[in-house]
Amino acid sequence: MRVTVDRDRCQGHALCVLNAPALFDLDEIDSHAYVLADPVPGELAGSARSAVENCPEQAIAVAD
Amino acid sequence: MTAETVTPPHFCAAHLLGSWDEHHPQRAFIELAGQNAPNRPDGTLVVARREEMTEFLRHPAVHATDGVNYHMGAQRPLIPLDLDGEAHRKYRKLLDPLFTPKRVARLEATIRARTNALIDVFADNGKAELMLGLCAPLPAHIFIDLLGLPTDDLPIFLEFKEAVVRPQGATVDEQQANMLAAGERTYDYLARVLDERRAGPPRDDLIGGFLTVEMDGGRLTDQEIIDICYLLVIAGLDTVTCSLSCMIAWFAEHPAERRRVLAGPELLGKAIEELMRYESPVPLGHRWVTEDIEVHGRHFPAGSKVEVVWAAANVDPDTFPDPLTVDFDRPHNAHVGFAAGPHRCLGSNLARLELRVALEEFHRRIPEYKITPGEDVVYTNYGVRAAIHLPITFPAG
Repeated sequence: MRVTVDRDRCQGHALCVLNAPALFDLDEIDSHAYVLADPVPGELAGSARSAVENCPEQAIAVAD
Repeated sequence: MTAETVTPPHFCAAHLLGSWDEHHPQRAFIELAGQNAPNRPDGTLVVARREEMTEFLRHPAVHATDGVNYHMGAQRPLIPLDLDGEAHRKYRKLLDPLFTPKRVARLEATIRARTNALIDVFADNGKAELMLGLCAPLPAHIFIDLLGLPTDDLPIFLEFKEAVVRPQGATVDEQQANMLAAGERTYDYLARVLDERRAGPPRDDLIGGFLTVEMDGGRLTDQEIIDICYLLVIAGLDTVTCSLSCMIAWFAEHPAERRRVLAGPELLGKAIEELMRYESPVPLGHRWVTEDIEVHGRHFPAGSKVEVVWAAANVDPDTFPDPLTVDFDRPHNAHVGFAAGPHRCLGSNLARLELRVALEEFHRRIPEYKITPGEDVVYTNYGVRAAIHLPITFPAG
């Protein structure tokens, strides 16, 4: 599974970081999210999907 | 002055519906979210659907102000709330890093200590009124610490905040005049604080940071710092106060859900997100459209003022199945309780931390409580939703 953050849509809510700290962090310069682990390790697939479903900006996408 | 009677102010399109209920406004918000292209009787367009909202808010022609009137009694654009485009991005780039989850985490011990000091005052009484006892003073204390304002000034700026957020007056004109007067006092106060800080030694707090930070190769001017602090003082205090009061009131009336969180503290983060969705303490915001645009097949003409109702989007059944059920395990909870788009709440992660720590400590000290028999929780929904009278009873000691 691959996970991506659309940095144009991302507004830095940080919910992905709170929900899936192993997969996302915030950029120290612009506070937008970036992906820590791509491809997504199998055991984190559920976390990746949860990040997609809880992003207020619909900025995160996963693809198998 | 013209006398335009206000009885009561219809602050939101949902407030005009027959289903409106101060205690449980969620049904009226669901009705609003179900309307096709809603607008108010005066023609103000209303965005209430969750799907439409994300796209509307991120449209570059959707601005935060009309360029003439500013939020919360301000005379100049509040930074960054009243700015758009590049000017807005420039200040957010400066401010966002100060409010990330990692940066605010360093305040956790202070928040915990302040919460306990407030609970100490009533813990042995067996009853308390939590708006005055906990919800109002806690965020105020945290903000004073964060900004580096003198603790003795607490009553002064609580008064500013109250006068700006809930201006007194029998008419809209009177309310506006009182709000502007309170805004004037806030500017004077902040200008005095900055003079004192420039004269004194550097300190490690937000104002200290604003005095030394560089943006575009130069320092911030006093006016810029004042326009940032004005927004932080007014917006940062009331919203956490109101959110915390709604959440404790909800837990008081839902003992089974409260006990679930007591038994599984890791649930609390999700519970807070779900209650932010359900209670939507900040019910709406306004936006201005600068050119003719189409969003989700709906036309917004240039010059329109638009009422964006976060509280309606948060109970939109198309996005949140069974929206009236508070479900801590809701798998899809992309709520807009902290707004969305470029102006999403700057302090959302500080708010989350304050809410989590306050609820953890309150529940650790007082796990069993209920609304005092014979008394009622009193809610206000005007401006920000809050349990403004929150009387609880609990086993003493």
